[in-house]
Amino acid sequence: MSDYVKYSSMSEGDDFLDPVPSFEVTKECVDKYIKATNDGTKELTVDDEQGRRVAPPMLAAVYVIDALRTRVGPPGGIHAKQQFKFHRPAYIGETLFTTAQVLKLYERKGRNYVEMTTETRNQHGELISSGMITRIWGKEG
Amino acid sequence: MSELKSYQHYNVGDHLDEITQVVEQTMIDAYADASGDVNPLHIDPEFAKTTFFGRTIAHGLLTLAFVSRVLSAWNWQGWAYGGELNVSFLGPVYPGDSVRVSGEIDEIVERDDGVYARCQLACFCGERVVVKGFVICKISH
Repeated sequence: MSDYVKYSSMSEGDDFLDPVPSFEVTKECVDKYIKATNDGTKELTVDDEQGRRVAPPMLAAVYVIDALRTRVGPPGGIHAKQQFKFHRPAYIGETLFTTAQVLKLYERKGRNYVEMTTETRNQHGELISSGMITRIWGKEG
Repeated sequence: MSELKSYQHYNVGDHLDEITQVVEQTMIDAYADASGDVNPLHIDPEFAKTTFFGRTIAHGLLTLAFVSRVLSAWNWQGWAYGGELNVSFLGPVYPGDSVRVSGEIDEIVERDDGVYARCQLACFCGERVVVKGFVICKISH
């Protein structure tokens, strides 16, 4: 049995993530992301009026990919397209839950493509981000 | 919905402040650690040699983190609270590449809930376009 998701095992309309994984937005993971991406945005360094610290919008790349990592494709797959809508930034201390659905499966130039929609909400059900990812599936051994 | 040529200090044809970021393998490794995306295509030179690319490449979402830096500096409120990003990854970013992120407002429209600007975005490694797309952000707050 392979340790990755086989392209042939997916169907359009499938819920990709079952059960829905959770992701804690910790200060440590936000600081690590900001440092790794060399992001000096000043709004990320101060608390808002309610004493909350926002995470960079593109932290979505971390929590969505973290969610998808629970069902990975074979090594060597890459991103072809990405859409994100940031309804609001996540705050440090929130727990995020990402759902994903297989929207479309197709082949082009001998490569397998997977389009997935994602939606991330916090522990209160508030919508944080939604998106669509198109991945070129890695070659299966 | 009506099209505008300008709104407050935003004008069609305005260029966003560009950034240039050199991407070394150490940055890719740090991003892999921060994001949890440890696809060997990004961090394992021996594995990467066996792929189409022949060497490691940066995560596409690392390049989007640079886009986010540009958009945060341009219009933090509109980007982080409601920003809609839509991009395609057109080519790899290799270790040692210098990524230049550019953007230009090509449309300003008034909708029922406010005024929005669309910016065409592109990331370049030298003359190569590696990411192309657009973002829509609210500019009336």
